[in-house]
Amino acid sequence: MRGGDSREILVEMRGITKRFPNVLANDRVDFTLLRGEVHALLGENGAGKTTLMNILYGLYRLDEGEIWIKGRRVNIRSPRDAIRNGIGMVHQQFRLIPTHTVAENVILGLKEAGFYLNYSDINERLREIISFYGWNISPSARVWQLSAGEKQQVELLKALYRKADILILDEPTSVLTPQETTQLFATLRKMAGEGLGIILISHKLDEVMQVSDRVTVMRRGRVVATKPTRETNPNELANLMVGRPLITSFERLNKPSEKPILRVENLRVLDDKGLPAVRGVSFTIRRGEILGIAGVTGNGQQELAETIAGIRKAVSGKIILDDMDVTNKGSMFMIRQGVAYIPAESSKCVAYQMSVAENLVMKSFRYEPFSKSIVIDWNSIKQHAERLIDAFSIVTPSPNTRAGNLSGGNIQRLILARELTGLPGSSAPKLIIATYPTRGLDVAATEFVRRTLIQNRDQGAAILLVSEDLEEIMMLSDRIAVMYRGEIVGVLEQREFDVEVIGMMMTGAKRGEAA
Amino acid sequence: MRSALPLIRVQRRLEVPRRVSAAVSAVFILLSFAVAALIFELMGVSSIATFGVIASVFTNPNLLLQAILRGLPIGLAALGLSIAFRMNFWNIGAEGQLYMGMFAATGVVLLHEYQGLIAEPLVIVFMVLASFVAGGLYCALSAALKAKMGVNEVLTTLMLNYVAILFVDFLVYGPWRDPKGFNFPLSIQFPDYARLGFVMGSPSYEGLAMLLVVAFLVYGLMRHTTLGFEMRVVGESPEVAKHAGISYAKALIIGGFISGGLAGIAGFSVVSGIIGRLRPRASPGYGYTAIIVAFLALLNPWLIIPASIFFGGLIVAGDLIQASLKLPFAAVQIFQSIIFLFIIAGEFMKRYRIIVSWR
Repeated sequence: MRGGDSREILVEMRGITKRFPNVLANDRVDFTLLRGEVHALLGENGAGKTTLMNILYGLYRLDEGEIWIKGRRVNIRSPRDAIRNGIGMVHQQFRLIPTHTVAENVILGLKEAGFYLNYSDINERLREIISFYGWNISPSARVWQLSAGEKQQVELLKALYRKADILILDEPTSVLTPQETTQLFATLRKMAGEGLGIILISHKLDEVMQVSDRVTVMRRGRVVATKPTRETNPNELANLMVGRPLITSFERLNKPSEKPILRVENLRVLDDKGLPAVRGVSFTIRRGEILGIAGVTGNGQQELAETIAGIRKAVSGKIILDDMDVTNKGSMFMIRQGVAYIPAESSKCVAYQMSVAENLVMKSFRYEPFSKSIVIDWNSIKQHAERLIDAFSIVTPSPNTRAGNLSGGNIQRLILARELTGLPGSSAPKLIIATYPTRGLDVAATEFVRRTLIQNRDQGAAILLVSEDLEEIMMLSDRIAVMYRGEIVGVLEQREFDVEVIGMMMTGAKRGEAA
Repeated sequence: MRSALPLIRVQRRLEVPRRVSAAVSAVFILLSFAVAALIFELMGVSSIATFGVIASVFTNPNLLLQAILRGLPIGLAALGLSIAFRMNFWNIGAEGQLYMGMFAATGVVLLHEYQGLIAEPLVIVFMVLASFVAGGLYCALSAALKAKMGVNEVLTTLMLNYVAILFVDFLVYGPWRDPKGFNFPLSIQFPDYARLGFVMGSPSYEGLAMLLVVAFLVYGLMRHTTLGFEMRVVGESPEVAKHAGISYAKALIIGGFISGGLAGIAGFSVVSGIIGRLRPRASPGYGYTAIIVAFLALLNPWLIIPASIFFGGLIVAGDLIQASLKLPFAAVQIFQSIIFLFIIAGEFMKRYRIIVSWR
């Protein structure tokens, strides 16, 4: 609140309660948004932030409570009602049609646009907004041609074109580079200056400190505090959010050994469209070492990780695991060799309709004791599940709960539990490929994932860590390789780590140019 | 501002509890009866008398046995479909697989009659096996096309239905026509040892036993074997299967084979249990009805048994209405179609709720 307290109240949510089966997602939540402020909504996953905002945007219906907008009590039953009330929402996953132009995406679903579309008028207005915020997109560009940051600008454009003055952004920086994040924050401040009210859902403390005027902290469905940002600090916020102080740095117990576990030589891989995604990548990872791969998403990291995990075929080059050529041996073979793979999207490796127990044996159900010849032994699967649920603190009503009912953080724990346990009778994994292992996770779950990776490193696993979160990659890695357009543009040793340098390299600058 | 017309919107239900699902099905079946009653009244027939006839099917023991017999092919095919649908393999081809099963079962009978290669008591066993393999291979063809080349199974399974139906037509109009059958397009009448009911005396008893055994096997396969586990993972998504080291193609083709195989056995049950010979259009759409039954039973093998007997009963009731109330066959078909239609509409209502508001 860089002005006074006398500003117009845009949104007032009173006593909002929302129940899901077995969960109280929002428990008598009060929330206000003033004109011209950036209001951060901070909390762990499952704290109820997104639920609260989905209620405001009409995606969920509230069980109890009242919503007042600009002094008028409203009944929001659908996003259409929300839009009519001047509310815009930018979701974590963009809701854009890649093959359409920016302008077409903006007017999509807009009744006011009428039957005949006057594109010159529409483009004119869009250009005005674009130039006001100093963006660089053209209304006639196709969305698939845009970067993640630019797609986000299209989402903002959608809201602004509809003259929204209440803007909800759900974890907007999770897909952005550091440079794009800076630009987004400048935009948000400018919007606030224009009199918009902005709600920023986040679990990143530094961002909240950097951009918000006020912050509301939620924990387990309740608001625990609302404070002006300048009267608080990251430590206090973390305490409020998690209920205890956090571990922020990890000590190294032993040096990585010299023995290479994984050697990748001149690897070339195609993406789903048959275009080169990985172009001649080579590196080694030693026992007990974490190699971080930094880069903006979509520069070949995903394809690289999948190829090493045996899920995607390499066109040429070699993958050597423990002195054995394992190129293109398939995922089952790699699983048996002790390669653990944590994919970026849990939807690719978790069967949401199946139970937690079933998901925990998804790679090992063919082995004793989980099955004998072809008959499954549910008892041992259940015991196994109970052990892992305990060891990895997975919060679930029972091993028989459908995995899809778990929160994001608990699904990630489930994946870790499965991947890091290995097959029955075998030791801990030799190689762990972890892609964006903490994306979308709250602070406590993130800390857990990182600690688990470090533990495995100390036990001698080689770890390939793909992440966009520079802070994370610098905290965990022994070395960092930066990928740009399918190539490794440079490798940095721990003493050379520097956000600016890595950020530059992520945009394609070679090591020398970046430094 | 209040306008004359209400605003009707369709909203997706986030979760569908079992109780809601069962209640919606029940309500829609009752609604369909109400509409059917209206139509009966319009045709000048007492709807109460008509429903009396329908109810008698499920209360009269003899008619109930008939209902079980007519429900047998539906139930067997639906059990097969429940496997395919669990794999997200939208097999619309149970009808065609059923015809391939009828072809294979009849083939075994003819082989025995004219070549005498098989011992008499074994004929029925070979009929079951042959119809399973024939139906299974027919479905596995579509599964393989999907797994290897990404061909949409809805198209292939549906179109192969016509191929199978016309293939059976060709056989009974041509090489398999009964030489002593006055030129009617019929195969020879099956000897007793090739008829269902030869052992227990009634095809309905044997049919019910068969349904229970197959339901038990399907349940065991899906719940208690590694293969069933793989198939359920495949149904979740091919991606998840790949990440878990499960061969998508293998699971899909084996699952497709079993699914089609059960439809094939359904075909066996038609020629061996109901008709006693092969003739053109021997199935009045059992394979399609099975799709509805599989969904109505929520793909649960145990629920498929009562659901298929219910639908078998409707077929029997149709015959009775036609005979006792002198209604044309078309009226009976209208009655059955209304019930199907309402059940399908009910499926929609399970997933969406309709909101009417005045504003």
